[in-house]
Amino acid sequence: MTNSISDVGLSDCILVIGSNTTEQHPLVATQVFDALEKGATLFVVDPRKIRLAEFAHEYAEIEPGTNLALINALIHIIIEEDLYDKEFVKNRVENFDAVRESVKDCTAAWAETITQIPAETIERIARGFATAKRGSILYAMGITQHKTGTKNVGALANLSMITGHVGREGTGLNPLRGQNNVQGACDMGGLPDVFPGYHKAVNPETKEKFTKAWGEVSCLDGNKISEMFDRIEEGKMKAMYVMGENPILSDPDQTHVIHCFESLDFLVVQDIFLTETAQYADVVLPGASFIEKDGTFTNTERRVQLIHKVLEPIGMSKPDWQILAEMMQLFGYEGHYDSVGDIMDEINELVPQYGGITHARIQEVGIQWPCPTKDHPGTPYLHKDKFARGKGLMQVTPYEIPGEQVSEEYPLIMTTGRVHHHYHTGTMTRKVWTLDREFPKGFVEIHKKDAEALGIWDHQEVTITSRRGSITAKALVTESIKEGVVFVPFHFVESPVNKLTSQVVDPVTKIPEYKVTAVRIEVTK
Amino acid sequence: MGVTPQAGHVVSDGKLCAKGWHGFGFVRSPKRLTTPLIKDEKGVFQKATWDEAYTKIKEGFSRAMTGGDNTDTIGIFASARCTNEENFLMAKLARMSLKTSSIDHCARL
Repeated sequence: MTNSISDVGLSDCILVIGSNTTEQHPLVATQVFDALEKGATLFVVDPRKIRLAEFAHEYAEIEPGTNLALINALIHIIIEEDLYDKEFVKNRVENFDAVRESVKDCTAAWAETITQIPAETIERIARGFATAKRGSILYAMGITQHKTGTKNVGALANLSMITGHVGREGTGLNPLRGQNNVQGACDMGGLPDVFPGYHKAVNPETKEKFTKAWGEVSCLDGNKISEMFDRIEEGKMKAMYVMGENPILSDPDQTHVIHCFESLDFLVVQDIFLTETAQYADVVLPGASFIEKDGTFTNTERRVQLIHKVLEPIGMSKPDWQILAEMMQLFGYEGHYDSVGDIMDEINELVPQYGGITHARIQEVGIQWPCPTKDHPGTPYLHKDKFARGKGLMQVTPYEIPGEQVSEEYPLIMTTGRVHHHYHTGTMTRKVWTLDREFPKGFVEIHKKDAEALGIWDHQEVTITSRRGSITAKALVTESIKEGVVFVPFHFVESPVNKLTSQVVDPVTKIPEYKVTAVRIEVTK
Repeated sequence: MGVTPQAGHVVSDGKLCAKGWHGFGFVRSPKRLTTPLIKDEKGVFQKATWDEAYTKIKEGFSRAMTGGDNTDTIGIFASARCTNEENFLMAKLARMSLKTSSIDHCARL
């Protein structure tokens, strides 16, 4: 998030696009309700009539995969009607004219034909957001899990910039991150193109800095997850080490993923349970859960917070940091770590954003990075007087059709996602009965009219088939989803929805196009 | 064992969601892994000591090492559920010890 969670409550206009906030980020949603109580305007864009839609001043039921057409139309209207923040554009932004030119034909009427949102609704959202004092955008994977995920985010950044709704309290472009430490895993270099602290791997300065600190290091722009699977298919990648992830349920096109794991010469899985992925391992290492170890997590507002050990690790299991330290020694590392504090000392040295975030300073309250020095208070919102690169670079982001299209054989669009009571592949939450009893089974949400046409009753078992495979699930017949669209959560091994999803990815980030899969549904025979 | 939200906390303000209230029972599940496991020739997991597991890992990864850069031969999944300190060590293990730049995690899922 460019801004803080508490900032959302200070907004006077909130655009929620591709985020089911009450389900997935309930505490952020409380801020939305706080803002509403103070008189804020709420716009919700989603193919499902999510809970927040009931409170929205405008709800736009969007055709999956068409966000870019909508956002470009919002930008077009705001510029055409002269509602943009000229001061901000003049002083803080580059490439405005190119973007203006690129959206010149993106009228509300044009966007209506693609998004199926009425042109008047699009115009009202554009005007409302542009004329707000403090506009905030909340988004999640409804924006990113598309073939144009990167462009979708770029277009939202354009919208934030032309309206001047960034770099101030109560504004911002705020991606809501889905896992307890996905922010930290990125910050710490769990990505193929960067070292810890977002040092670009291929930059000579990075090589120099980390060679000095660590000795000889691999400094390439490495393979992303989907590319690792490509390398396995090519017979090049032989060994893999998977810590705390379950790609067999979470990654696209399960048949392909399983084939890849079977083809590996050697697989190590480190986890707290024998997951679906661990079944394919040669060696399984028992890690510790979050209450059996010390360390820090970084939340969605970049706040680094401590966790403390309250139980000893079960059986012979060990805190994951200790296993990793021993693995490093196994491969010749001569240093050692006696505590997580030793590791944080090294992070303070090498990760500039965390330079001043010591365990001692965050005993009571976490600090938001960037925090370069030990006397720096942390940063509640980014881009205050200037952007990280100086001026904000606006990007040209033309609309593209999704990678997968419906056909006569596969006439419905399936979008995947999550429910409130479960987490990711259910490895943990499905073992907690008070959570699992709420949603014990996989399901498919389908509009009443589509269900009627297909002869499907509520709670009937149905078979969902895509170009890649079939699964069964219970039908939930509803009017809270767009006609022609169905929704399936990915938590359930009994209804493994990633057997159906495609290998279409965003060309830049390689994020899978989980929000658009063409399927057909029939009553299970 | 139980969970209590912290009144006046800067993020939670004393509130928790359902997973906050309930999402910890799994830590004492009988299904937890309690020892390292090694798969035998028949494809069955056998309990092992840490030393046995590490020996096996050393052999396995050594077969995939090229002598130079291993970016195309060894892949690493870091974890969005592990701590910063752990992800930092995983990045160091990948780039320094195993000489691979192929490290990624589920940020996109």
